[in-house]
Amino acid sequence: MLEVIKPGVQLCIQDLGRHGHRHLGVSQSGALDPLAVKIANTLLNNALDTAVLEITVGLTQLRFTTATNFALAGGDLNAHLDDTPLTPGWRYFSEPGQILTFASSADALRAYVSVEGGFDLQSVMGSCATDLQAGFGGINGSALAAGDLLHYASSPERSSVGALQPGYHKQMRILSGPHCTQLGSSAAHLLCAQPWQVLPESNRMGVRLTGPDLFTHQLSINSQAVLPGTIQLPPIGSPIVLLNDCQTTGGYPIVAQVIKADLRHFAQLSAGDQISFIQTTPAQAHQETQQQNYHINQLRIALAHHDRSIS
Amino acid sequence: MTQEQTYLLSEQAVVLDLNCARLDNVQQNRLFALHRHLQKQAEYIDIVVGKTSLTLVLKNPAQCTRWQDQLLQLWDELSAEDFHPATHSIPVIYGKEAGPDLAPLAAQLGLSQQDIIELHSSPTYQVKFLGFLPGFAYLGCVPEQLQVARLDSPRTVVPAGSVAIAEDLSAIYPSASPGGWRLLGNTTTQLFTPHSQPPCLLQPGDNVKFVPQKEGLC
Repeated sequence: MLEVIKPGVQLCIQDLGRHGHRHLGVSQSGALDPLAVKIANTLLNNALDTAVLEITVGLTQLRFTTATNFALAGGDLNAHLDDTPLTPGWRYFSEPGQILTFASSADALRAYVSVEGGFDLQSVMGSCATDLQAGFGGINGSALAAGDLLHYASSPERSSVGALQPGYHKQMRILSGPHCTQLGSSAAHLLCAQPWQVLPESNRMGVRLTGPDLFTHQLSINSQAVLPGTIQLPPIGSPIVLLNDCQTTGGYPIVAQVIKADLRHFAQLSAGDQISFIQTTPAQAHQETQQQNYHINQLRIALAHHDRSIS
Repeated sequence: MTQEQTYLLSEQAVVLDLNCARLDNVQQNRLFALHRHLQKQAEYIDIVVGKTSLTLVLKNPAQCTRWQDQLLQLWDELSAEDFHPATHSIPVIYGKEAGPDLAPLAAQLGLSQQDIIELHSSPTYQVKFLGFLPGFAYLGCVPEQLQVARLDSPRTVVPAGSVAIAEDLSAIYPSASPGGWRLLGNTTTQLFTPHSQPPCLLQPGDNVKFVPQKEGLC
């Protein structure tokens, strides 16, 4: 079992998200950094969408009561297993009773932990992801608290192995959105012409931004579908980049969409961070997603080779 | 006459935007017919009907361009008669604790509470779309005499099952949440139970009829 000693700021169970229910008002949920989930699960030979722990900020303490291999991915929150420092993108083994801690970091916000074989969880509407707003999924639909126990099957020790993770950036690539013309402007002018600062009111629903020159307006649109990555521009001119827990429809003008491959970078943004936007094309966006898939495939092949050669 | 168009939203979603302020009944049912048709035909992750649009999130982004044309063609081909909605009767206890805004609203509109119940329960509503919360259905349309703005200051907690109105729409809160709609009554009908199959009682396009119960005002 994994015992939560201290959850820290926010500790929750996430996977690659709950899909196919947006027409019923059900959010996607899921890890804000899906590539990190895939890396952690690949390191353990788990199915890619196996549920993991998402650690936000850190200040977290967890105890493995039974032996397991586990993998760490995402941001570097200065994790330790007892006194040994750990590196994201690596697989480790824990003896029964060892304690995994996360400090915190000025440069990263979210880390992910997967265990070999996954945690024993009940899937709700096709996913184990915690829907924190609606209160279902994960364990009892809420973030984990001190004393919570997560079951997993014990696994025999494997050698420690890992690889460099693709880096995190603060320049986000976007595709132009549908309502720029109605605002008499362009995505390039509205978003790419200045740097933006992340506001403290940011969370898993969305990242709110402010900048030196805000474009205020009076335009409201008929509520239509929004998706993670959709950039809304409310009348006060402060853009919102919607993330996994966002509502399914919205009535603010949509000025752009962050490409799928770049959404993971938002998982690591803290209040006060500076980001910028640059326009790209759908073709480039597909290519970037492909690139991430290649990365996972290469990792899988390298690991298969490694695990075979040492056994 | 609307000038419908399609465009890409993100690299894997296509939007059919009907580019109008509101839909008439025929257009609305054509849109639901399109939704049901796509649920059978398309390789999709999600299909979301908006107030005057439909968004199709595809499994394979390479299909987006093809679906931009395909959606326009299907919109032309399908008719309102292709859509056959289910109808749900929702028992409602109106007034008092179950509907704390009923009495003040009656006073504001110069009507009796019974008048308001009669007005609210007479139409057959249609689920225009769902959002805000899982299973929260936007139901149109509230009779014109009963169309009022949201509360100036939203309640921090609206109880689950609250039957409410705001502007031309009615809704039932599927779970407790903050909310600014005016509460007329309450129902014990479960709207969203994530562990059941199907999890959601009301589907886009379904019809809803409110039935006043004798335990409340009627």
